[in-house]
Amino acid sequence: MAEPDEFRAMKGIDVDTLRREIKDKYAEVVAKPNGEFHFHTGRVAAERAGYEASWLDGVPQDALSSFAGVANPFHWGLPRAGEYVVDVGSGAGSDSFIAANAVGPEGSVIGVDMTPAMLARSRASASGSANIEFLEGVAEELPVPDGWADLVISNGVINLVPDKLAAYSEIARVLKPGGRVQVADICVEVEVPESARRDIDLWTG
Amino acid sequence: MTAAGLAGVAFGPIVDTFGGASGEENAREFGTYGYPIKAVKPAR
Repeated sequence: MAEPDEFRAMKGIDVDTLRREIKDKYAEVVAKPNGEFHFHTGRVAAERAGYEASWLDGVPQDALSSFAGVANPFHWGLPRAGEYVVDVGSGAGSDSFIAANAVGPEGSVIGVDMTPAMLARSRASASGSANIEFLEGVAEELPVPDGWADLVISNGVINLVPDKLAAYSEIARVLKPGGRVQVADICVEVEVPESARRDIDLWTG
Repeated sequence: MTAAGLAGVAFGPIVDTFGGASGEENAREFGTYGYPIKAVKPAR
């Protein structure tokens, strides 16, 4: 089994620069959702990832247009009525809105994102919704109390976090005992050379 | 995930996340695909 240190922050990565470039990239997705990216966006991307049309029909259009997920965290099922859900790297909010529609008025959803443009978009879309809120934060330091969540979801975010052990430790911290994690993310089939791991341009596209 | 104390890790079906994306240049080189992944925090 790998030692925990192997999952710690990537050596040679300037975290501040990486976060700035990620914010710039996803601000561009908000501003030009139909622009040229290395990933698909919007409803097309969600349907490609396996989302059901009925889930997407309940998502505000402004949120859905900037969807940039990589797979389907709800492949394992939607949250149940009354559950508490955290969406790590909530982006424009599509997954949070799907979760909020599933948990209903007795449940609650907290979306966490570090990109101001995405937060502005998700908060505008959530205006008037009582069971969903969007908070500024990073995956390695979630602004959520210990043991709050029944379910943590995330889509296409952990791959962009340099310290993946810190991110998953935070997910474990905010979960109740017996709580579930359903993430969608990318994996590589080919060993990535150290030089490529340090190339921030490759992290963001 | 297991190093963080999570258990029962399982992967769902592969998704060709980047295939056909207009700005994609590097995903194929490293065999990069999307997956749904689940785990649980063990009950005390």
